[in-house]
Amino acid sequence: MSAAGNPPAGAAQGSAGRPGTAAIGPITDDLRAILASVTGRDELLHIPPGTALFGTAVGLDSLSGTLLLREIQWRFGVDVAAEDLNLDSLASLGTLAAFVAERVSP
Amino acid sequence: MPPVPAGDAVDVWWFDTRAETVGPAGLASLDRGERDRADGFLFPADRHRYQVAHVTLRQVLAGYVGVAPRAVPLGREPCPRCGGPSGKPVLLPAPGHSPPARSGRPPAGPGLPAGRTPVSFSLAHSGDMVVIAVASRPVGVDVEREARGCVCSLAAAFHPDDRVRVGSLAEPARHQAVITCWALAEAVLKCTGEGVMHGTGGFPVLSGLDGPGLDEPGPDGSRPAWSGPEGTAYVHGCALRRLPAPPGYRAAVALVAGPVESAGRHPADPSPLSRPGTLGAGRGPRRGGGSWRAFSRLTHAGHQ
Repeated sequence: MSAAGNPPAGAAQGSAGRPGTAAIGPITDDLRAILASVTGRDELLHIPPGTALFGTAVGLDSLSGTLLLREIQWRFGVDVAAEDLNLDSLASLGTLAAFVAERVSP
Repeated sequence: MPPVPAGDAVDVWWFDTRAETVGPAGLASLDRGERDRADGFLFPADRHRYQVAHVTLRQVLAGYVGVAPRAVPLGREPCPRCGGPSGKPVLLPAPGHSPPARSGRPPAGPGLPAGRTPVSFSLAHSGDMVVIAVASRPVGVDVEREARGCVCSLAAAFHPDDRVRVGSLAEPARHQAVITCWALAEAVLKCTGEGVMHGTGGFPVLSGLDGPGLDEPGPDGSRPAWSGPEGTAYVHGCALRRLPAPPGYRAAVALVAGPVESAGRHPADPSPLSRPGTLGAGRGPRRGGGSWRAFSRLTHAGHQ
């Protein structure tokens, strides 16, 4: 598990002070809410940041995954994967939150 | 043992994961990779769905190729788009016989003897349903649970022609059309082995259909202008059509070249898989109805 996939507790607050970087914690919560919404599964509101999104772990299918990315684009204005889902940023909930946090307008 | 469907025929098997249990023999039929993957799920319901899907897949394929479920030689071709390892799941031929086209790698481990009818398959699951398609040419199947909320943002992933057609519908009919359009596109991309990870907008799936099958009336009784009879489209090198699905689901099947023709429920299914019961080690048939367990063979001969 990468550091970005499981950020230490203080990381979100620390990074929030950098210009152009939003706090990871609230974005992670937002992503959990989007996940729960697009899948209709409330249990995804509580998954840890290191949870893999595709493949195994929560069993996110490709339609739900694509819908997740479209909702992120709509809500945050961040285009995670315009055409290709084979991205390191999609490895886990935490890596996706970090990717969005680095690009979202504060 | 059912014969491998010839020519344009496709066998379609449906299972409701709520009605299936997986016994020790079923679990023992999974290979190391499948067991590791099952162990990786966070929630028991996801693990169960995966186990049912893959134990069932092995049982169904074992019936066609005449080997024990655990001996079914499953492998993957390289992705025809990027050459990566996530291409089409296939039955591996015997060592020394390369799989047709695309694959440059010799198969690992045991395979099937050469000279027999090729068996292509595709597996999909969504919600509680598992669907398996079997044919003698490359085949792709997809099933998706109907939308329970707004999925309009998904239309941005479609080919521009499809985006326009779906966008012409009023909600909530548009939401179900989006799901159907996705299932059609994913069936094609699973048939070719590209998968959806490289994008779903490379070709239109709706405009290729004489009757796209998205012809359910909206709540107000209106139908889209392009509604028509169910038909077969020729898209991206595949024959594509919608597949009758359980209530609450949308499904599609694609077959390389040639038409996939109309569906008929098989009247006298020779396989015990058509009866509700336990997968793997023998428990008795489950009581209680409501499960959707069905077998059908789609052929050009029409409804049976």
